[in-house]
Amino acid sequence: MDKRLYRSLQALLLLGMCIFLASKAANGQLTYYINQRFIPLTILGIISLAALAQTMFTEIKRSRRLAEEDEHDHGHAPASANLWFMLVPILIGVLIPARPLDSSSFTTKGFNTNAPLVSADSSAQLFETASQERNVLDWIKLFNYESDPSKFTGEQASVIGFVYFDEQLGENQFFVSRFVVSCCAADGFAVAIAGEWEQASTLEKDSWVLVKGSMQSITLNDQVVPLIKADSVQVIPMPEQPYLFP
Amino acid sequence: MMPAGFFSWLWDRMNVFATVFLGIFIEAVPYLLLGTLASGLVEVFLDRSQMSKWISRRPVASAVGGALMGLIFPVCECGVVPLTRRLFNKGLPLPAGIAFLLAAPVLNPIVVLSTAAAFGWGNMLFWRMGISMLIAVTVGIVFSTEQDPANILRPILTHDHDHDHTLETGASFSEKVRQALLITADEFFEMGRYLIIGAMLAAGLQTFIAQSSLLAIGSGPVLSVLVMLGLAVLLSICSTVDAFVALGFTGAFSFGSVLSFLVFGPMVDIKSIIMYLQVFKRRPVVYLAAIPFMMSLLAGVLFNYFQP
Repeated sequence: MDKRLYRSLQALLLLGMCIFLASKAANGQLTYYINQRFIPLTILGIISLAALAQTMFTEIKRSRRLAEEDEHDHGHAPASANLWFMLVPILIGVLIPARPLDSSSFTTKGFNTNAPLVSADSSAQLFETASQERNVLDWIKLFNYESDPSKFTGEQASVIGFVYFDEQLGENQFFVSRFVVSCCAADGFAVAIAGEWEQASTLEKDSWVLVKGSMQSITLNDQVVPLIKADSVQVIPMPEQPYLFP
Repeated sequence: MMPAGFFSWLWDRMNVFATVFLGIFIEAVPYLLLGTLASGLVEVFLDRSQMSKWISRRPVASAVGGALMGLIFPVCECGVVPLTRRLFNKGLPLPAGIAFLLAAPVLNPIVVLSTAAAFGWGNMLFWRMGISMLIAVTVGIVFSTEQDPANILRPILTHDHDHDHTLETGASFSEKVRQALLITADEFFEMGRYLIIGAMLAAGLQTFIAQSSLLAIGSGPVLSVLVMLGLAVLLSICSTVDAFVALGFTGAFSFGSVLSFLVFGPMVDIKSIIMYLQVFKRRPVVYLAAIPFMMSLLAGVLFNYFQP
């Protein structure tokens, strides 16, 4: 491949990657893929890509000028296959509609009703959080940390998550689930707490719900895990940040 | 005719694949840019003569020095590969480069802080750093038996092909920066290609292989370490944050097993193996994967037996 053509394609692909990432950042979809605390790094990456694209464009102009000065051939370019691979993420991102992890990945990733996630001291802080402000992960941590989870019985709970039905549960029961992402979607794992509601059968799998009610417990796989006896279950739009970040 | 259920299953799989793949890729892009930029700057601003002054030629000292270089170049496993190749090209001895390649993703300030944030300033941090260092130095010394780097490394394609990249002495600073950025871009594409292949493999495995089948293999003192090593390869998480992921396993897995995950993951996973294959010939990559694997396994099993 001609060197100048190679540089032009590089410039376009760098620009394309830059625009692709910038559009994901602009429409808030970056949190479908990575933990929010890495967003500044991605922004830095977007700026660097723009700077590299600019360097390439300048380089093309420069080599055109040099080519006019002398007829010398400016070498051949590296393998052009390198370039086409950069299209893969852009194409996947554009052709497959963005969708955060949901219960369809439970078949391979599984889900947890009891996961010891964070060191004991930070679990202890959760006791001071108002019960309605605890999310799915907080409740699971608390139940895991406290040797006698019955002390939470009757506390008011208000959590959001997506709906999942599982045969471990009885009639009118369902799971409210969230994915927890430390770094990127690759390490995402699901946590779930049980809910009980008379009209549970009207809920749709993977729909997002706000569940309000009083905290009870249920024994699954020989472990006492949280169950919310729901007073109300309200279908809500997917939150802007579908994942929890530990 | 395929049943409609098959298509909805396939569509779901594709969505999981796309999300996991883009997750790994988007997460890695800034780190890859950082690594290739470091590589470009090294190429342009570092003299071969300076290099030989700094790094000892004796294998052990050289390997130890190389393993500690991560403290100066804070790169993770995506960025370390192009940088190491460039340093080799500048005359860095093999033991130092190999030790740097394996140790830098762990023995660097960012990873020290993230491990401490997850596990506290205690045993896990100390042993993670110590055993990573030990493995990196050992593999570095093993490679010192090879005198000629050309037997181990693939030739750099982006280096000699193009007289644009060779600088006359006394080139202006801005000219040097321009050259460094051109190298950065070339390498971003070259290494990006292998990052993309690796991320696709990792995402494919996560889409079709159930983690529970891995976890079901066993929980004995040896099997549990093997499971965690397998998980490290399968997940392909960046070393800067893998400590937070490892934390999730501390309940179900012993100290030794989690430690082996934290030691082995940054050295060897799917995307780093693919990237190694671009820099090294095939046999050295086997050593680069097999020795850390066996040493991590040994370390994990020893801890499982001797730690209460």
